[in-house]
Order: sequence, then structure tokens, then C-alpha cells
Amino acid sequence: MSTTRQFRAAVIIGYMLSITWLRRNLMSLVWLFATPFSLLFIITVTTGGRSFVLGVIGSLLLVLSTVGTGIAGDATWYRLETKLQDFFVASPVSQIGYLLGIAFAGLFFASPALVVLLPLLVYVGFPILALPIALLSLAGVWLFSSAIGYLVSTFTSNLRNGWQSGLLLSVIVGILPPVFYPAEILPHNILLVTYAIPTTNAALLIRDAMGTAPTLPYWSPLTGWFLIAVSLAIALAVTSRVARWRQH
Amino acid sequence: MSVLGHDARDEPFQIRSKIAVVPQEGGTIGPLTPWDHIYLTLLARGMSRSNARERAEKTIGQLELKQYRNQPADSLSGGLRQRVRVAMAVATDAELIFLDEPTLGLDAVSRRRIWGVLNQIQKEGRSILLTTHYIDEAEILSNEVAVIDHGRKVLSGSPAELLRNVKERVRVDIVGSTFAPEELNSYGRVVRLAERFRVLTDEQRGRELADEAMKRGSDVSLARVSLEDMFVDLVGRDEE
Repeated sequence: MSTTRQFRAAVIIGYMLSITWLRRNLMSLVWLFATPFSLLFIITVTTGGRSFVLGVIGSLLLVLSTVGTGIAGDATWYRLETKLQDFFVASPVSQIGYLLGIAFAGLFFASPALVVLLPLLVYVGFPILALPIALLSLAGVWLFSSAIGYLVSTFTSNLRNGWQSGLLLSVIVGILPPVFYPAEILPHNILLVTYAIPTTNAALLIRDAMGTAPTLPYWSPLTGWFLIAVSLAIALAVTSRVARWRQH
Repeated sequence: MSVLGHDARDEPFQIRSKIAVVPQEGGTIGPLTPWDHIYLTLLARGMSRSNARERAEKTIGQLELKQYRNQPADSLSGGLRQRVRVAMAVATDAELIFLDEPTLGLDAVSRRRIWGVLNQIQKEGRSILLTTHYIDEAEILSNEVAVIDHGRKVLSGSPAELLRNVKERVRVDIVGSTFAPEELNSYGRVVRLAERFRVLTDEQRGRELADEAMKRGSDVSLARVSLEDMFVDLVGRDEE
């Protein structure tokens, strides 16, 4: 199948695994709203509203990284329990088409939360004209998280481990890096390590567009974009080479 | 190794567009309906909307899923869900369909429905590679059968060819036998199946034994030997 047809297949798989699901089961939205909005609430209350902006940025990034890393559990379920992956392995759909399909499903699941959080980001001072910057960096986080979530799923031998792996990845990508708190409070060495995670760079780029980014060692917007691009390229390359695309 | 004229190592994408699979013991996807499962899988494989709609409708009819078409799959019985999974593969235009235990755990009626569809696929000139533990299924559906024991092919050929490996031609099943073991042994090879004795023998002696059993008031049946008898004979796992 051509690239265009793989993309069409990905959108259809995404629709199949999200919109059709959501139309009949709205309860599925709860988990996506629960953690980011709980954190936003706690951060806002405990700081007397001073960290509300960081909370909104962190929630946005957490939603998109969670739907990506959550693929570690979802794709394990599709592979081991429903055997849906087997149907697509024996079809013209490529591994990247399938991965993108599951990633789209996550994005569609996330869209109600994004509909709330993106206007909120603008409300707290993000310039509308700079929205492409936010969207592009968020897309980088979503794709990176989806690629590593999928990669992990292909090596997971039981469903429970799949969900646990997704949760662990979500903490590593969406909670530990400086997305809900200011990067400038981190010790120098740890800060340098967090540069390797796209969520750190996306958060800094969004803050930069709002004019609130701190001066940090070895970091500039250009470096931020470069690091997101490199980490995404590595994640996709490793996934397409290492992930197992076969009947279980 | 070549599949459908393509090298399996060098041309996997060409092969994948021509095959479909029903994996063993999978499930359906929560609230998606049978229609969603079949139609959207066809679209994802690259079919046009009109073609996918037409094929999905046809397969839903063939597998008698019409009345369940718009019901969430998680409200369907196990047998209906299995029919949905079979439909996802047979609705495609794949030239070769792999079916891994497609009727496992299904009732007799559901099994026969699936057999009917598989028979239809054969008539369309498409090939099926069926893995099954039900020997009667293999005998009824297959042109070629390969017997696998401990992961190794031990025999292959058409059902008729394979049956030639069994010395005896008929089997006589007697329930609640009024025969002494030595008496049964004099008619042929005796296999004990729970409360039933199965005697494998030639046609004439089989008829004689069946007549005698009826005279003595036993429940008796006479049939030609089956692939199952051949299989048990071959791998030596009967309850003799």
C-alpha cells in the first residue's frame, strides 16, 4: 500500500478504536480527564493559583503523553487478548500504519480534554498566533510517547504488565520532567538529563512563546526543537526496527 | 519459500495484501458492533467504501449475523463473537485465508454455518489453510490434509489417500456390549471408547458383527473408517 493508503488505514484504525468506542461508552473518557485535571486542581490550590499556568501546560502535556504511553497497555490488549494485531499483520497495513492508527485512537480519545485545555492555555496568556508552536510541540510529544508505548507493548508478555508499563512510562514522560513545575529549580545535572525527554522541551517552548521561559544552561528554543526532533526520530527508528510485527 | 508466487523473505508486503487470518481464541472489541468490526477492517485494508459495504453485507448474511449487526459485540455470545471474527477475514478479498481453530468451542449449528461459508470460499477459487483439532472438520472441508504430531508433519495427502493408511475399511460401534472381549477380537481390532467398543474390520465382518449385535439387542452403528480413526491409529493415543 502507498503512504497515502497507509495514512488512510491509520485514520480508519484510529476511528475504529476510539470514536466508535466513545460513541457507545463515554466512561472511557474518565481516566483521561482524571489525572491531569486532578494535578491541575492540586497545584492550583496548593500554590494559591500562582502555578496555574504551569498546571495548564503540564496537564496538556500529560494528556498527550498519557494517551501515547498508554498504548503499552492498549496495544498489548489488542495483541494478546483480542488478537486484533494479528488481523492487521496479515493485511496490507504496515507496522507504522498500525502504530499510527493506535496513536490516532489515543489522540481522538484525548480530544475532549484538549478542547478544554487549549482554550485554557490561550486564556492564561498564550498568544493565539503562536498556537502552531504549541500544537507542533504537543504533536512531537504525542508521537514520541506513542512510539515508545507501542515498542514496549510488542515485548510485553501479559496484559497486566502492559498496563503497568504504560503507567510507569507515563510517570517518566509526563510527571517527572519539569512540566508541572519550573525547570529552573532542578539541579544542573538533572536538568541536563531531562532535556532528553520531549515533554521538557515542549513545556519550555510553550513557556518561551508566552514570554515566561527562564534562562537555562545549554537551552534555547532552537535547541528545544532540535531535541524534540532528534528524540522523535530515534523513537520512530528504534520502533520500526526493533518492534515485533508478527502474529502472536 | 514462496507464497502465492512471492518470496516470503523478500516480498512480505505483496504477500500480506493477499492473505487474511482468523487467529486462535481472540476476542472482539468491546462496544464495537459486528458491522464495525467487519466494515472498518475492510476499509483499513484499502477497500473502497462501496466495495467494503457490499462485502460486509454479504458476509453478515452468509454467517447469519443480520439480526446482531448493530449490537455491541460484548453483548453477544461466544459463538456469535467467533462468527464475527471469521467474518472479518472471509469478507476480505484475500486469496489465501489462514484459519486457526475457527470453530473451537462452537456448537454444532455454528460450526456448520462456518463450514458452509468456507465451502463457498473454496468455490470462489480462494485457498484456505485450516488448523484444527477436529478431524471430522478436516475430513469434510479439506482437499489436502497434513497431520502434525509434536510439531512435525507425519503424513499428508487427500482425505481418501490418507484413509488408505488404515488397514480396516469399516468400524462398528457397540454400546453396552453383550459380547465377550475374545469374541469381539475375533471380528477385528477392538478399541475401547469409554462405555463403547469400536471394532475396526473389513466390510463383510463388519456387517456380520452389526447383525449379531442387533440380534442381541445392543445399540450398534456401522460406518466407514474416518480420518479420526486414521489419526488415532497413526499417533497412537487412543484408549485401547
